[in-house]
Amino acid sequence: MYATSAANPFTELIRYRQLLASLIWRDLRVRYKQSMLGMAWAVLLPMSMMLIFTFVFTRAVKVVGGLDITMPYPLFAYTGLVPWTFFSASLLGSVNSLVANRNLVTKVYFPREVFPFSSIGSAFADFFIAGSVLVGLIGYFHFFTRWTFVPSAAIAFLPIVVLVQMTFTAGLGMLLAMANLFYRDVRQLLGVAIQLWMFLTCVVYPIKNDGSWWGIVAVCNPMTPIIKAYRQCILEGTIPAGGAFASACVTAVCTFVLGWWAFRKMSHKFAECI
Amino acid sequence: MAAAVRFSNVGKKFRRGAVHESLRDLLASTGRRIIGREVQSKRPTFWALRNLEFEIAPGEALGIIGPNGAGKSTALKLLAGILRADEGTINVNGRLAALIEVNAGMHGDLTGMENIFLTGAIMGMTRAEIKSKLDDIIEFSGIGEFIHTPVKRYSTGMQARLGFSTAAHVSPDVLLVDEVLSVGDVAFRHRCEERMREMVASGVALIFVTHNLEQMRSICHRTLVLDGGKSAFVGSPADAVGHYLKATMTRVGEMSYVDNPRTGKTDGRVLAMKFLANDGREVECVHPTEPLTMQIDFELDRDVERLTVETALRRDGGEMMVSLNSRHQGITFKAPAGRHDVRIDLPAFPLGGGNYFAIVRLWDADRSELLAETPYKFMLQVDDQGKGTGLLSLPHEWSALRTIEPIVANQTHAAEEIPCL
Repeated sequence: MYATSAANPFTELIRYRQLLASLIWRDLRVRYKQSMLGMAWAVLLPMSMMLIFTFVFTRAVKVVGGLDITMPYPLFAYTGLVPWTFFSASLLGSVNSLVANRNLVTKVYFPREVFPFSSIGSAFADFFIAGSVLVGLIGYFHFFTRWTFVPSAAIAFLPIVVLVQMTFTAGLGMLLAMANLFYRDVRQLLGVAIQLWMFLTCVVYPIKNDGSWWGIVAVCNPMTPIIKAYRQCILEGTIPAGGAFASACVTAVCTFVLGWWAFRKMSHKFAECI
Repeated sequence: MAAAVRFSNVGKKFRRGAVHESLRDLLASTGRRIIGREVQSKRPTFWALRNLEFEIAPGEALGIIGPNGAGKSTALKLLAGILRADEGTINVNGRLAALIEVNAGMHGDLTGMENIFLTGAIMGMTRAEIKSKLDDIIEFSGIGEFIHTPVKRYSTGMQARLGFSTAAHVSPDVLLVDEVLSVGDVAFRHRCEERMREMVASGVALIFVTHNLEQMRSICHRTLVLDGGKSAFVGSPADAVGHYLKATMTRVGEMSYVDNPRTGKTDGRVLAMKFLANDGREVECVHPTEPLTMQIDFELDRDVERLTVETALRRDGGEMMVSLNSRHQGITFKAPAGRHDVRIDLPAFPLGGGNYFAIVRLWDADRSELLAETPYKFMLQVDDQGKGTGLLSLPHEWSALRTIEPIVANQTHAAEEIPCL
């Protein structure tokens, strides 16, 4: 016998894992159904961003002394933009996930975490597709430019980086979805905040902690070591060692725990406040 | 056996007015809370449901009826876990499925088949479970070849059928049904009722919320009447319907009523309508086979040369069952101003068990003018002792020719007296 008010969150989520899969699948299905290019959009978006920033930083604006990077700029930008797109798409999906599924929230019971999680899940599918194109991109620069790719075992670290990013995103996603349910301003604010956040992260240019306030802000931002870690383990063949990535891990776990705790605590109010 | 569902002293309150305070108010009140000062909410609360107690055994069907805003949907949402009770406890024994809004999870761009999987998952079914029942679901829905067409091209009825069919194949221990059967055609509704009866027969506890009293009466064993967030009555469906209708119809009767809607002035009033048994005693409840007299008391403000009197009865406030008009019998009354009464004698009242509500109209036949009209407010109960659920109880006899012999069971006439008290 169970009382409807209390149920173990873990067993509940496991019980509803197939629902999570179904909702992710629905999002993907619906997103690409009446579109000619379909899944290609997952690649085209970060690819076009990459081309724009390549144009900006190599033609339009001449950065003094050049950007301090050890790889061709398009590769640098793409390895930043793909995980960043994953991050921002997840958050933008999550923030609206409860409100957009208002019908389900007010009419059917299941753990509400499923909504933000499914947004992350469907963004992950795009991330995966866009990421596989990187292989072709690396091949191009390896064979047709002076840059050479050195394969390394460090790539085995990649799943950990992805996992850390997802943990962080999920925690943040739950907090934002919940906040947006009570105050719709959150969604509008997030659009602006994510733009700003991108430029505080080493997505399209490298960031060094030069001791200025700006360097400190940028380095404290957990997304910086995470994006950096992608480049390190894919292109540079090094394992992201050091305090920055470790502290990003801690931030990610704390955000997740806090997010989930608050979300569970508030979830019984969702149906009446939405 | 343990109860499938138990509500103990359940209460749920809501706040009146907008739920959203401005972000500024929130920051201010949070600030005050942090420094430990008491924050009082400006908005008053009200109890949507209070002191609700009931229990359902496995294999039992409980109907919940009541006027709009009585708390029916709140009760179901509490039970489904969508809302949380502010008072009391709710226990559910086993797996619960709610057909509250079967189409809530559907997406127009997906095909019928895809939506079955989606809705099924939302209802808590596993993929394997859905796959094993897929053929049954499609057949039950009657969607046929359109199952691979996007749902946005379906008619409303088809969408509802698809949703219900999926939900009807979840195998729950407790099933909640809220007004989902109002869509779909007659044949489909019939199939749904059958399906619910089957589930109940196999041990599922059913909670059925509806405004369709006939449907409720044909499915449920017991009925709870909610009114103003409180349990107003629990008992047999027929009694509950009577209780509910009497309460709501009286409320209608209390509303001001223009006696002559055409001229706006009052030429007469219907004072009462009484139902009299054989012995002249006034009754509220009759047996279909016994004689019945209807007596209409009224008052006229002017002389009427040719007065016709008309009465009509609706069953449960729904179908029009009987219309009796004196003019159709070639009878008019010459009535001077003052109080009068007319009587209608019926040798029997062969209608099915249920509650009937009567209206009375007085006409001036010469001027074709309506003198007075009442709402459907005079109630008469017919008790057929559960012999049938049809609209009529026809007088009839059974017999057989040669091959078999009818055995007449001992009739207990004593029992006939009890229900009318």
